[in-house]
Amino acid sequence: MPELLNPGVIFTLGAFVTLFLAAGLRRYFMLAVIAFSATVTWQMDLGNYGNLQLFGETLTVTRYDVLSRLFVVVFHIAAALNVIYGWHIKDRVENFSALAYPGAAMGGVLAGDWLTLFVWWEMAAITSVFLVLGPRSRSTYMAAMRYLAIQIASGVLLLAGIVLVYRESGSLMFEALALRNEAGDLNFGPLLVFIAFGIKSAFPLLHNWVQDSYPKASITGTIMLSVFTTKLAVYALARGFAGTGELIWLGAFMTLFPIFFALIENDLKKVLCYSINNQVGFMVVGIGVGTATAVNGAVGYAFGNIIFESLLFMSLGAAIYRTGTSKATELGGIYRTMPLTMTLCVVGALSISAFPGTLGFVTKGLIIDGVAEEHLMLIWLILLFASAGVLEHAGIKIPFFTFFAHDSGKRPKEAPPQMLIAMGIGAVLCIGIGLYPDPLYALLPYQDQIAGYHPYTSYHLIEQFQLLLFAVLAFVVLQKTGWYPAEVPSVNLDFDWLYRVPGRAFLGWVITSVAAIWHLVWDNLVRFMEAVARGLHHTHGPEGALSRTWPIGFMALFTAIVLGIMLIVTFLI
Amino acid sequence: MIHFPGLEHLPALPVIIPLIAAPFTIVMRPGRTPWLWATLVSWVTFACTLLLLEVVWHGGPTEYKMGGWAAPLGITYYIDLANALVMMLVAAMAAVVFPYAYFSVKSEIARAQSPAFYTAMIICLTGLLGVAATGDAFNVFVFLEISSLSTYALVAMGARRDRRALTAAFNYLVMGTIGATFYVIGLGLLYQATGTLNMLDLHERLAGQDNKVVEAGFAFIVTGIGLKLAMVPLHLWLPNAYGFAPSAVTAFLAATATKVQIYLMVRFIYTVFGFEFPFLEVALNAFLILGIVGMFYASFVAVFRDNVKQMLAYSSVAQIGYMLLGISFGTVDGLTASFVHIFNHALIKAALFMGVGCVVLRIGSSQLTAFRGLARRMPWTTWALVLSGLSLIGVPPTVGFISKFKLMEAAFQTTTLIPPLLVVLLIGASSLLAAVYVGRLIYTMVLEQPPENAPAIKEAPHAMRVALWIMVIANIYFFFFTDLTVGVATQAAEALMCSQAGCGGAY
Repeated sequence: MPELLNPGVIFTLGAFVTLFLAAGLRRYFMLAVIAFSATVTWQMDLGNYGNLQLFGETLTVTRYDVLSRLFVVVFHIAAALNVIYGWHIKDRVENFSALAYPGAAMGGVLAGDWLTLFVWWEMAAITSVFLVLGPRSRSTYMAAMRYLAIQIASGVLLLAGIVLVYRESGSLMFEALALRNEAGDLNFGPLLVFIAFGIKSAFPLLHNWVQDSYPKASITGTIMLSVFTTKLAVYALARGFAGTGELIWLGAFMTLFPIFFALIENDLKKVLCYSINNQVGFMVVGIGVGTATAVNGAVGYAFGNIIFESLLFMSLGAAIYRTGTSKATELGGIYRTMPLTMTLCVVGALSISAFPGTLGFVTKGLIIDGVAEEHLMLIWLILLFASAGVLEHAGIKIPFFTFFAHDSGKRPKEAPPQMLIAMGIGAVLCIGIGLYPDPLYALLPYQDQIAGYHPYTSYHLIEQFQLLLFAVLAFVVLQKTGWYPAEVPSVNLDFDWLYRVPGRAFLGWVITSVAAIWHLVWDNLVRFMEAVARGLHHTHGPEGALSRTWPIGFMALFTAIVLGIMLIVTFLI
Repeated sequence: MIHFPGLEHLPALPVIIPLIAAPFTIVMRPGRTPWLWATLVSWVTFACTLLLLEVVWHGGPTEYKMGGWAAPLGITYYIDLANALVMMLVAAMAAVVFPYAYFSVKSEIARAQSPAFYTAMIICLTGLLGVAATGDAFNVFVFLEISSLSTYALVAMGARRDRRALTAAFNYLVMGTIGATFYVIGLGLLYQATGTLNMLDLHERLAGQDNKVVEAGFAFIVTGIGLKLAMVPLHLWLPNAYGFAPSAVTAFLAATATKVQIYLMVRFIYTVFGFEFPFLEVALNAFLILGIVGMFYASFVAVFRDNVKQMLAYSSVAQIGYMLLGISFGTVDGLTASFVHIFNHALIKAALFMGVGCVVLRIGSSQLTAFRGLARRMPWTTWALVLSGLSLIGVPPTVGFISKFKLMEAAFQTTTLIPPLLVVLLIGASSLLAAVYVGRLIYTMVLEQPPENAPAIKEAPHAMRVALWIMVIANIYFFFFTDLTVGVATQAAEALMCSQAGCGGAY
């Protein structure tokens, strides 16, 4: 049994124990489980453990190597921060998910073979759906069902892909796959796996479930969701498809399109959800480039992103917790009474914008350098532009509209201590690792490359400051001249105002047309699905022709028909 | 192994023991005695079938001549791994459901009827085991009627709770009789062509005979058995029969009756006819299409059903589709997948229907509304239902996953009318439908609030809960230890496929 004991299993077992504990006791127990799991991980040497024999195949439950180690470490940190942040949460289901869901993600990260990966992949889907269901209203129920359907579809695709890959290679080991064969044609099995990973990492056009479901969860639920599912997918991509050229373009596109949506979005929770897409895009580009520096950057950025994205979500969550709203139009001016939360939020914002001296700076630079080393000029420019975009929507929009902007008149209390502690730890990590990145660099998979890397060179600093200053300048100018998309309750563009500013006009056109096309496709899809469901209910529902109780004569008639057909066919052949 | 006296009669014992035990049951005092007796009988029978499986597994197929009369004149029992597995499965289900039945039967059936009820149950068990055991095609018909007649009576006993059980039983009676008649007509035609009723002998004498008589016989037999195993569109009797029968009866029948018929179909296709007939291709293609149609059509109906018992009954029709699909591939892997699913689905459906039985006992209804907030009111039952529901979808670590995995694996290497990849995707898609209707049930039980002013209720009695959880644990156990299911099924399938290739006898 100790062979099988890895963090994923420990968390999952712990989650089931919490179901039987009294509400007051649960949170202490959860921290204890995380601590215990961290100790077990600490004492584990790199290598493969827990070989299981299952219908003639050897499964490797735990593969603890340089790549999985980093994710396991950061998932522990994130799980612990969540438990501290949600110290007041007494909901049994949410407590259960707070252990089971990170456990499933870690199990997936540690999986050494496809089958184990599949099991945890589905576990992650099932355990996280309870978070979306959290508030238990009609709309969350529908969102949760959509979420579950998409996640399960990803699992089904993964399984189909696994079976194909297994048929071809005869091995169940979870190793790198080739998306194309030598002739450049797509391999079907790996393609299915690729799409399955793509759904979970929210590739463009497969991304909608993020904005659909994440904001519907409770505050703590959203924070948890933002960490694990997409990062598990990032890990799986890094393991299975590093160096796959298609990923570069997909990732570059992922970094771009959420920016536009995020700029005009009024619900700040949704803004952060778009930022998840954008952030994962950076990692996907790094994985696609596939060189040692770029992959270092991708997984390092995953580490950093988990910390500062959570920090942003947590500070926004604290504001929501105190004011009860996440709308930019209804927030604002609350820095007066929540100064600590505001400060911590700004740290997160600086970090996500890759301000020198923060966690974002020391990790994002690796990806951009990796792209530059391969001389991918266009991608490099897109990433720079997207970085500026991150600053606009996540770095400035979130703290500005939450805490400053127009005075909403709200005077909430400062965030409760447990939230401040969790955010404080996050902020300390952001700045601490930002100033002294060596411990993080020591965890990266390619040590040779990272040895000679110094984030604080004059080139990096100048590049970054130029970028940041111009982006800030742009924001200030837009804000002062009133051209920044105002916080309005709906997506509403003033065309008269766009005519006067040609550059913004183009932007506006892109936004509206993309949104219109998307709405057209989505609405028609929804209408189509509704029509299908109605049709099915008409025929298959309780009163439908296909399911009502038929008179016995009809039953006999069917039998006669079947017999007739059988006779005719056998006679004719 | 220790040599017991009388062990040479082992192949016949699982049939003989309940057959002799049944008449005693009817004269017992109503109440607890018939139940204790039936339980004892089922356990002894189960032990015999286990022993038989062990013998066949290690010693190869065995033959038993009734009364010492040699085949083809006398009736012989041939037991190979395929029927040993099915017999073990049927007896195991009886051994779990019979102990479970007491409280459920006490509340659903008049006390005075209880000896008759248990008698019918034991007779039904006899019939099912007999169909699986015998190597004589006409003897199959006799046991088929024994099990069917008792089943009609058992379904009708649900009338105390819901009068519609009477029409359901009557419809089942008419349809079942048509099926049996078709079977016997087909058999008559084959007898006319060959002059024998022994399965092995039939196989030998049918070789090379490709005429209208044999073809008609084949069509009648396939339709007859198809009706009995509820192949779409001949399934119409099943949902009502399962829906209105007493809970214990539903649990037992859903786990065994159609499974034995599937076995019988396999036996006829692979052993009696073998592969040299062109019309077999027709039957396999029909299974492929009807299997897929059934998988989807019945799942869609299940999605919209508000009565959980009927929902699960329709789900059974869909699951039969999977088994037919496995047979239709005509490969060792496909047949293995079918046998594995026969076994696994029996575990799944027995657990689910037993769970529903617990709810019917305590709340008195199997409507979906009765399940609202059940997690608070009957946690043990709820979580048993949740786990076995996940098994029905095919979520690891449950047996449902093994079934789906084996079936998909088999589908990949076939050459059928439909491209293999499409078949695999269809299997995946219909699993999603299972996820929808099971998800509906789980959501109602776990996440909805119990109705206002709902009276406090106790959990189901210990006997029921223990039996239920044995099934649930079996659902998980056989995920990790697949020697019995996949191992035996593979060998059984190899032996069956071998028979038509002519490598040393049909068994």
